[in-house]
Amino acid sequence: MPHRGGETANREVVIPMRQPSLIARRVAAASVSLVVAAGAAACGPEDNDAKASGSDSAPHQGGTLTVLNRNPQQDFDPARLYTSGGGKVPTLVFRTLTTRNRENGAPGTDVVPDLATDTGRPNKDATEWTYTLKEGLKYEDGTAITSADIKYGIERSFAPELSGGAPYLRDWLVGAADYQGPYKDPKGLAAIETPDSRTIVFHLNKPEGEFPYLATQTQFAPVPKAKDTGTKYEEHPVSSGPYKVVKNENDGERLTLERNTYWSAKTDAERKAYPDKIDVRSGLDSSVINQRLSASQGADATAITTDTNLGPAELAKVSGDKALAARVGTGHFGYTNYIAFNPNVKPFDDIRVRQAISYAVDRSSVVNAAGGSSLAEAATTYLPNQKSFGYEPYDLFPAGKTGDAAKARELLKQAGHPNGLTVTLTHSNSQDFETSPEIATAIQDALKKAGITVKLQGLEDNDYSDTIHDVKTEPGFFLAHWGADWPSGGPFLAPIFDGRQIVKDGANFNTGFLNDKSVNAEIDAINKLTDLDAAAKRWGALDKKIGAQALTVPLFHPVYKRLYGKDIRNIVISDWDGVLDPSQVAVK
Amino acid sequence: MSEAVTEAAAEAALASRAPGTDPASVPGASGARQFWRRLRAQRAALVAAVVVALLLLVALAAPLLTAIEGQDPTTYHPSLIDSARGGVPVGPLGGIDGDHWLGVEPQTGRDLFARLVHGARVSLGVALAATVIQVALGVTLGIAAALGTRWVDQLLSRITDIFVALPLMIMSLALLAIVPANFPRPVLVTLVIGLLSWGNIAKVVRAQTLTLKGLDYVSAARLSGWGTRRIARRELLPGLAAPVITYAALLVPQNITVEAALSFLGVGVKPPTPSWGQMLTAADVWYQAAPQYLLLPAGALFVTVLALTVLGDGVRTALDPRAASRLRVGTGRRREHRADTAAEKETSS
Repeated sequence: MPHRGGETANREVVIPMRQPSLIARRVAAASVSLVVAAGAAACGPEDNDAKASGSDSAPHQGGTLTVLNRNPQQDFDPARLYTSGGGKVPTLVFRTLTTRNRENGAPGTDVVPDLATDTGRPNKDATEWTYTLKEGLKYEDGTAITSADIKYGIERSFAPELSGGAPYLRDWLVGAADYQGPYKDPKGLAAIETPDSRTIVFHLNKPEGEFPYLATQTQFAPVPKAKDTGTKYEEHPVSSGPYKVVKNENDGERLTLERNTYWSAKTDAERKAYPDKIDVRSGLDSSVINQRLSASQGADATAITTDTNLGPAELAKVSGDKALAARVGTGHFGYTNYIAFNPNVKPFDDIRVRQAISYAVDRSSVVNAAGGSSLAEAATTYLPNQKSFGYEPYDLFPAGKTGDAAKARELLKQAGHPNGLTVTLTHSNSQDFETSPEIATAIQDALKKAGITVKLQGLEDNDYSDTIHDVKTEPGFFLAHWGADWPSGGPFLAPIFDGRQIVKDGANFNTGFLNDKSVNAEIDAINKLTDLDAAAKRWGALDKKIGAQALTVPLFHPVYKRLYGKDIRNIVISDWDGVLDPSQVAVK
Repeated sequence: MSEAVTEAAAEAALASRAPGTDPASVPGASGARQFWRRLRAQRAALVAAVVVALLLLVALAAPLLTAIEGQDPTTYHPSLIDSARGGVPVGPLGGIDGDHWLGVEPQTGRDLFARLVHGARVSLGVALAATVIQVALGVTLGIAAALGTRWVDQLLSRITDIFVALPLMIMSLALLAIVPANFPRPVLVTLVIGLLSWGNIAKVVRAQTLTLKGLDYVSAARLSGWGTRRIARRELLPGLAAPVITYAALLVPQNITVEAALSFLGVGVKPPTPSWGQMLTAADVWYQAAPQYLLLPAGALFVTVLALTVLGDGVRTALDPRAASRLRVGTGRRREHRADTAAEKETSS
């Protein structure tokens, strides 16, 4: 929650960027409910790409889909939601200029047009992006959606009272840094032009080849000015998607969606919208959600969850039961858990000490601590192991499966620690299997073999987050994790390794204090590319180059496993966020 | 519960004083012998005493026992868990075999027997040490309040009231959160429990001291010119033994559960040091997939708390003449009942 409020006031580009990622990854991991409460509820993942399908015939139209969640759909206003790829539940109500690719079998990490006819037409240096709306787009009341509504929707997301969304727009749009929203400043943003009712042009202050990814976020949903009720808009936002909000109780704790009869599948290739009604119930405990989904009694038979993964113990139980095991969706979200070093703290200023730890780490015990090989994949790269991130396999300090203690001792000797050394590892006390005590203990055990005595410092969750993101209190050796707002190397590498993004007062995410001119220049150069495949390759190469500094020790990438009810059909798991897409689901 | 304990203890203490005012009967050799006889007469208390002795022995001998088993509490055994299934132990009953007497921990493969017996050291050690602090503080402040001037009594009694009213868990959580992380955790937990919850014992001691103070032998000591300290040590402390021992016996299990709760909440001892409360935290989600993982620390905690409570109750009974006399009647009835049943069996067969 520190994120939401502070962002609008904060003008530093870096901070906002990092914050979103932080939120996105936490939400996606479904472990931190606080984040969701901050308005990020929708953020995680959806599907895009079909990997598995439970359907044997044409999916059934109609019925009620129940969604059992821990976190409420708080602040259900497109200006306030923080989503990756448009979100899970929000995407049923809000259409955006672009969205995730969701067709069955398609690469889900791709961006595809949604309200627009294409993913955007850039000028030569990617500082100007033009979109044209499809014809025949309508709101839930039958009125036409215009490009001015999209401009207005973006403008109102700048209003301080409607904060919560990603900070990129403020950083990227020309002259938007101080804009306070249309209520205070009705003239609007000059950086967004709407020459006619179907065309919208964005002027950016720097090249951003990944603008189409940003246009998937709910801030790009149209909002009719006449229907805008300010902070009350979240109670009944005007739908542009296949469902409209008929009831919103307790700030998104229970959300009832019914069909929007003015939505037409002809203008929307991405959403199937088979059920007639969606009943979102939240505020549940994760063990209750998994228990209800496995029992599949009554309405729970047609239930899914958009925020709760199976934990190790639940997986152990589910995998012992074939019928249950068949009802588990598996996916990947671009996310990395790693050890971070602060090179300003001794002895981590010595690269040989950092390398020694890289060699000594036992990734198999870390993976076990994270839930085992079905819930985590050992990582040797900082970028997630997916093509869209530009993943290039490398293992610069090969530790094998269980660590290379001999090599680590040798490096320590060279670094002047022939008798080993004692260090403190900072971690959080949350029970998320990410930065939690189990992972820290596994590392402690592995480093012992290399002569490194690890003392553990466990911090309460919020305290931990504040401590590691403040340059004044950042520890030398700590557990960290990072997830991207969209599946590309940019939002993964830039906030962490761009030297210009070191934030002296405020939330700093460049925890390794890397400020390498060649790295900064390469980040700028890649941002200019509008060929996303070419950009991905260069992000991968840059990742390997940065990896040589041993400022992090990548540990694992999580794997998401989620149960769904026994009468759920047409399961499509997204590559974008690794989980089942409610817009594709049918109920029996 | 603490209110009931206070009353019962106070009552027991008063009762033990009421019939005779002979000070020698309580602390003297004959008093101790009588106490043992009354304690032995209660079979449940005897069993509990044996169990408590065994638990203490296990805790003290933890390194030896794990050495005999050939294990230690912190080594990972990745080959003994099924990584693809969330890290559930391989083999039946959570991986119980000749090498791992109680199986292994899910996700790590650490030996559960070793963790359980080492965990006993933390649980029992913290609880006993905290009880010592509570008794020392409670007795000192209770006597001081009873013997001091009215002003001292008022001040100490109000302070005691404040500590009685403090919500222990919330205060502990707050204190444990602000103390630097490098302070040794078991000591810290002991201090927090010991220094926060001594209020009830101080009240009991003050009330009992006020009663004793008015008795003839104390007045006689005062008249013969003894100082307050000497009176407290020689005349009052022996008379306080009964309620204090009784109360302390019931504080130990209470402290064990507080330590477990604090470790359960993540502010107790730090990993990889095992404690029962910490094991419970890690195990609670595994109750379906690996039930023994949860049952072991839960069972150990249950047996310990039950044994200490029964023993504490037995001590109270043995120190309470009225209860002791009822006890004698009871044992006779039990013997009669046994004889009756035997006779019935014979007739029916």
